[in-house]
Amino acid sequence: MEKNIITSQRTGDSCIHVKHSSGLDIYICEMPGFSSVEALFGTKYGSVNTMFRQKGDADFTVVPEGIAHFLEHKLFENEDCDVFELYAKTGASGNAFTSFDKTAYLFSCSKNYQESLRILLDFVQKPYFTQATVDKEQGIIGQEIQMTNDNPEWRVFFNMLRCMFHNHPVKIDIAGTVESIARIDADLLYKCYYTFYNLNNMVLSIAGNIKADEVLAICDECLKGCEDKGLETVFPDEPAEIVQTEIYETAPVGASIFNIGFKCSPCSGEERLKRSAAASVVSSMLTDASSDMYQRLLKEEVINSTFDAEIFAGDGFFTVIFSGESPKPERVRDAIADELEKWLAEGICEKDFQRIKKSAYGMLVRMLNNVESVANLMMNAHMDGTGPYDTISVLSGLTAGDAMDFIRNELKREKLVMSVIKGDEQ
Amino acid sequence: MRYNRTEIAPNIGFSSVIDEKFKTGSLVVRFITGLSGEYAAANALGTGALSSSSARYRTLAELNEKLSSLYGAALSTFARKRGDIQILGLTASWLNKKYAFDGEDVDAEMRELIRGCIFEPNVQDGCFDADSYSITRKDLLDHIDAELNNKRGYAISRAGEIAFAGEPAEFSCYGTKTAAAAVTSAEAYQAYRKLLRTSQIEIFYVAPEEDPGFIEMFRESFAAIDRAPAEVAFRSISPLKTEVAEGSDEFDVRQCKMVMTFKSASEDFFALKLLSTIFGETPVSKLFMNVREKMSLCYYCASRLVSPKGAVMVDSGVERGNIEKARAEIINQLDEIKNGNISDSELESAMLSLENALNQIGDTPSSYSSWYFERFCDGQIKTPAEQLADYRNVTKERIIEAAKSLSLDSVYLMLDKEAAE
Repeated sequence: MEKNIITSQRTGDSCIHVKHSSGLDIYICEMPGFSSVEALFGTKYGSVNTMFRQKGDADFTVVPEGIAHFLEHKLFENEDCDVFELYAKTGASGNAFTSFDKTAYLFSCSKNYQESLRILLDFVQKPYFTQATVDKEQGIIGQEIQMTNDNPEWRVFFNMLRCMFHNHPVKIDIAGTVESIARIDADLLYKCYYTFYNLNNMVLSIAGNIKADEVLAICDECLKGCEDKGLETVFPDEPAEIVQTEIYETAPVGASIFNIGFKCSPCSGEERLKRSAAASVVSSMLTDASSDMYQRLLKEEVINSTFDAEIFAGDGFFTVIFSGESPKPERVRDAIADELEKWLAEGICEKDFQRIKKSAYGMLVRMLNNVESVANLMMNAHMDGTGPYDTISVLSGLTAGDAMDFIRNELKREKLVMSVIKGDEQ
Repeated sequence: MRYNRTEIAPNIGFSSVIDEKFKTGSLVVRFITGLSGEYAAANALGTGALSSSSARYRTLAELNEKLSSLYGAALSTFARKRGDIQILGLTASWLNKKYAFDGEDVDAEMRELIRGCIFEPNVQDGCFDADSYSITRKDLLDHIDAELNNKRGYAISRAGEIAFAGEPAEFSCYGTKTAAAAVTSAEAYQAYRKLLRTSQIEIFYVAPEEDPGFIEMFRESFAAIDRAPAEVAFRSISPLKTEVAEGSDEFDVRQCKMVMTFKSASEDFFALKLLSTIFGETPVSKLFMNVREKMSLCYYCASRLVSPKGAVMVDSGVERGNIEKARAEIINQLDEIKNGNISDSELESAMLSLENALNQIGDTPSSYSSWYFERFCDGQIKTPAEQLADYRNVTKERIIEAAKSLSLDSVYLMLDKEAAE
């Protein structure tokens, strides 16, 4: 078991990476002066992983949508009690989340971190489901699905994804549907568990007021070695083209909201990191409050301070999304497309590019100021196949030419979709 | 960590927290005044205009260009409600100069920029600049409209209107949409001038190293203002209604919301906080374990202590068919505490949960600022460790007494329209 120290040349921050003999990748960041500890135990298993096989399987297994999230809920119960009850004895605050491409179990605490870490490592490695507990969970998750349906931000986002993607499961709600979760049973949950919760497919990320040697000793004590079973996940073929250009829906909202997104070509690893950096700077230049486009739209009263952008990317998908409130989202969409065409014809302003790049650097360094952000950063980077501080170095080397290449190759008008949620009277 | 509060002018405190572990500097200026339906919108607009331009950076574009050139420094304004008071302010954070690769003195640049925004706003002939003000007002109006988009938050706001009807706390910290739309640029500027003169002002500077320039800048700038500070009441217990008040709205939603407000005249804050923690603030609380987990009546069901008003609010996401059952069970769980049914493990896990939260204060700059501001409002500055000792002194009997002091005051329901038809 070798300790590899990873250091950011730019900020001097460092963390430790260990490939544990059990197969687990472990990231540890000791943060002197901080009181809290944040730990995440994650698997590369999210809502998009609905088709998979292992070494020796002839065929792919297809599972109902929402099962990764369902499994996350069920893992919180062990044979004797609820995991929350165990954390209650240490004072830690425990939680879990399922996203499109990962599931993570976490706790934050300010004392007894060793005992909380034992709880975390233990329960995630010890599944216990019965048909009765599965049946009960279907009711609880059904309520969660209903609640998220009342969230207009959630709906406008998924409507946009459905405009973009023909087949990729990213367009399906993370929790699935009431119908899809009804097809989940205990056997299926065990199959998914033993496929994806193999330590070779997982990562432990822990940051804050900790000692690396103590963490590793607990890992030695609690981790059960796993054979790497050669997990393979696949996605349905996804055409490069979008499904439809726009979608409108009405809901009880006080302000109309929009998501405007570009469907870009998917990529992974270092390529995704580079492209994300370029996409991030370009989209920030468009939403920058000092830009001409922003000022124009502000004067026309078609955007307000909620206008923002994000990069949403994972296995088999890469998108650039603009969001906000607007009475005329069509005008916002056209302005974005026109501005990009102008930049293609005239080039982007080097001074603005450098200023936005500097701003992005500042925000990345500020993330290193926070225990929770550091723990998440290490886990996410590992799952993306990169290092924790690679974003800072990739950003440093980014040129205006890279940004122009990204605009030229990826931000095409024919790949632009728009989703709008309007109030009943708007 | 070094904490120090200095009174730099009548009713103006400057608190400095120096903690070497941070990579950023940050500043929060809070103007504290009584909440009123008449002035809430003007106050929100008067302070809101401070982050859209200044005499030096005359447009939002110029101001933002400067901020982004300072490594994405953040500057924003806010309005909040705390019981019967309105808290308005400006917050800023920036990268410490140690991390500036071009060697800029980011701290000094931000100090000057903040000074300009607060003390030299973009004003002509007694009015905020028309373009900047127009942006600020539209943003506030849109924000008021968008409150409905967050159903859980909206339900809690509506419950507050019903529970605290006839008291300042019934009003929104943003004012109404009608009031905000009617506030002129001159009125907003006058409201801001009045805040500078009459409000209680608390300033918090959190950074990795001392910079006396900040306190000096505020001391000098406020010296030029003829201060006449008005008293504010940080705590004003809300009277219990003679009959439980009920209110509801119907929307096209799939999940109903229920918010129950209980009131207490108890002055035992520490016992009330422990009571609320045991009742519904953690995943092992009585509400979570029974109403959600065992009885599956709600997807979420949580309590919160509204200390300045002596109230405990329980909010839940519930199917229409379960509303009455959930309401009865929430009351039943409170009765359990009133009857002394608190196990040692429930008490200990509540204590551990509070200890965990208290120990984490200081891990972010905003947690320092919020902690010391809240203690200022309580009238006694103390450390998280001292507060923990106060919790540790609370006996089970005091928690039972705190529970007995609570009575149901009002219930708000957000109902699903389709099911009603």
